[in-house]
Amino acid sequence: MATILETRGIEYAYADGTRALSNVSLTIEEGRKIALVGPNGAGKSTLMLMFNGILRPDAGEVLFRNERLDYDSRSLRKVRQRVGMVFQNSDDQLFAPTVYQDVAFGPVNLRFPPEKVKRYVGYALQYVGLSGYERRPPHHLSGGEKKRAAIAGILAMEPEVMILDEPTSNLDPATSEEIMEMLDELNLGGKTLIISTHDVDLAYRWADEVVLMKDGGVLRRGSAEEVFGDLELIRDARLKPPMVVDLYQELVNRGLAEGKKPPKSILELCDSLEGGERRCAVQGAKRGTIYVCNADELLLENANELVVKVDADYTGAMGTRAKLMAEEAKIRVDFTYGVIDKCILKALAGKSCLVLTSQGMMGQVQKRIEAYSQQSGEEINSVDLSSGSNGRSLPIDRDFVGTKSLK
Amino acid sequence: MHDLLDDWAQCNALRETSAILKLFLGLGAIIICVSSVTPSAPLFVAASMSLIILILAKIPIRIYSRLLLLPLSFALLSSTVVALMHGSGEMLYSMQLFGLEIGVREDGAALALLLIARTFGGMCSLFFIALTTPMIEIFAVLKSLRIPESVIELSMMIYRYIFVFLDQAAMIHSAQVMRLGNLGTRSALSSFSMLASVLFLRSWEQGERLIVAMDARCYDGRLDLMEERKGAGALEIAATAAFLALALAISLMTGEEGILRMGG
Repeated sequence: MATILETRGIEYAYADGTRALSNVSLTIEEGRKIALVGPNGAGKSTLMLMFNGILRPDAGEVLFRNERLDYDSRSLRKVRQRVGMVFQNSDDQLFAPTVYQDVAFGPVNLRFPPEKVKRYVGYALQYVGLSGYERRPPHHLSGGEKKRAAIAGILAMEPEVMILDEPTSNLDPATSEEIMEMLDELNLGGKTLIISTHDVDLAYRWADEVVLMKDGGVLRRGSAEEVFGDLELIRDARLKPPMVVDLYQELVNRGLAEGKKPPKSILELCDSLEGGERRCAVQGAKRGTIYVCNADELLLENANELVVKVDADYTGAMGTRAKLMAEEAKIRVDFTYGVIDKCILKALAGKSCLVLTSQGMMGQVQKRIEAYSQQSGEEINSVDLSSGSNGRSLPIDRDFVGTKSLK
Repeated sequence: MHDLLDDWAQCNALRETSAILKLFLGLGAIIICVSSVTPSAPLFVAASMSLIILILAKIPIRIYSRLLLLPLSFALLSSTVVALMHGSGEMLYSMQLFGLEIGVREDGAALALLLIARTFGGMCSLFFIALTTPMIEIFAVLKSLRIPESVIELSMMIYRYIFVFLDQAAMIHSAQVMRLGNLGTRSALSSFSMLASVLFLRSWEQGERLIVAMDARCYDGRLDLMEERKGAGALEIAATAAFLALALAISLMTGEEGILRMGG
C-alpha cells in the first residue's frame, strides 16, 4: 500500500524549552486506521499538528505522498486541504456563527465556486446527519452535534487523511461509539484516519495499527493485539491493558479460556470461552437469524411495516443514514453501535435480529457474518432483505428475495 | 444555564419572516416613537408591538414582562424627576420637603408622560427586533446594505465567541461561589477581578487557537457570509407599511392638536 504521510527524524521543542518530540520517524499508509496512544504529554497532539504543517519541526521533515512539505503558503494550502484536522475542543474549531457558514469555511477559502460550495456543504452535513441544522448557531448544539459539525467542516474540503485529536473526549458513551462508527464508514470510503486517544479500549477495538508514544518518542508500533498484548510495555507507558485483554488473561490463568491470541472484542472473548467441547454443550440451542435491510432503499412509510413483519427480537441501526431513518420512522433501536457483533452474539443465543444499514455497508455486514461463520464453525443464517428495485415495494413482500443461507 | 434573548430569537414564530422587513418595522416604529410630540402614537406602537411579540411571535408573557421591567423602572424613575423639576402651568400636586415646596406642574406631568410613552414604545420596538431576529440574519442584512465585509466578519466572530466566554465566565463564577469566593464585599470584589483577568487571558488564548483553527482550514481571508434569504411576501410588506402609516398618522394628528393646545 502506498505511503501517504511520513515523518523523518522530527525534533520539536516548545518556546519554553520543553522537548515535545524527539527523533520521530513514522510512515503512514493509505487507507489505514491508526491510533496514537500514550499518556498525557507524550507528544501526540504535537505530532498531529506536524502532519498538516501547523507546527514546523526544528529538525527533520514531513512528507505527504513522498513530497517534502515546504512551509510556503502554496504547499501549506495543498497539504491542509488533503490532511484535515478535527480539534479536541469543538468550540475551538467552530468559529462561524452558523453551522452552514462553518462547514462552508474551508470550501470558500479553497475558492470553490458558490454552487460547488453549496453542494459540498450539503453533502457533508448529510453525511454526518446534520441536515436541517444549517442556520443553527454552534452554541445551540449539543456536544455530539458540535463534533459532527466539526467533522463536516473537514469533510467538505474532501481530504484524503483525517486527523482527529481525542475525538471522543467529553462525549457520552453512545455518542462516542456513533462517532467512531462514522469514522469506520469514512474509512470504508477510502479515507486514511489518524486519531489520538488515551482510551485504550477504543484504540484496541478500532485501530488497524497502534502507535504507542511516550516522552516525545515512539515506543512501539504495530497491530493493536501486538502492542496491547505486551503488558509490561503498556504499564511503562502509564496506560492499562484493554478490559477485554485483562479479563482474557485472567480467564486463561484460571484455565477457563483458551486461544492463541488475545480476543479483539467481546464476541471473540465469548468464543474463546465456548471453545472446544464447551461449544458442543450448547449445540442443541437453535441459532437465530440476522435480517439485513438496506435503509437507503426502504421508503419511510414501509419501514414500520417491515419491522412488524420481520418481527425480530432485536433491531440494530448501522450508519448515520440508517439511524436517522429509524429515528424518523420511530423504530425502537436496540443497538446503535458495534451492531454486527451484538447481533451475532444474540443470534448465537437463539434470538433473531434486524439490521438497518446503508447501501455502502451492506457488503461489510454480509462479509463479517460470513467470516465469523467460517472461522467459528457456527451456522448463522443471514437474510438479505434488499428489494433489488428502487424500493417502491416492500422488499419482504417478495418472499425474501435474495435469501441466503450461509454455510 | 442562562436564559438568553438569543435563544428566543432563534426559535420564535416569526423566525422565518424576512429579516429586513422586521428591521424596517422595528426601526420605523422607533423613529415614530421618539419623534412623536404626544404620548398617543408611542402608546399605540407599544401596545401593537407587544401584541405582535406575544401573539405572532409567541414569546411567553413571563419572559416578555420580565424583559420590560428593567427599562420601564428606569423610565419611571427618570420621568418622576422630570415631573418634579420641570415646567410651568397649574400646580397639580405639591408637598413640603425640608421647608421647600416641590410639586408637579401640568407641563412637567405632560412631559413625564411623554417620556414614559416614548421609552416604552421604543423599548417594545427594540425588543421586537431582538426577540424575533437572530444576529446572523442582521449580519446578512448588513451585508446587503454594503457595510464593509471586514466589519461584518469581525462582528460575526465576536458574536460567536461571546457565548463561549459567557459559558466560561459562568463556570469560573460557579467555581468561585462553590469555594465561597463571594462572601463579603472584599472577597466578592477580589473574586470579580480574578474572573475578569482570567477571562482576558482565556480570550487571548482562544484568539490564538482561533488562528490555528482557521489556518488549518486554508484561511485565505474569506468567510462565507450568510446566503440569500427569501424576500418578504406582498401581504407582509403591505401590513407593515399600513401599520407604520397608521402610527405616523396618529403621531401627526395628535401632534397638531398638541401643538395647538400648547399654543392656545
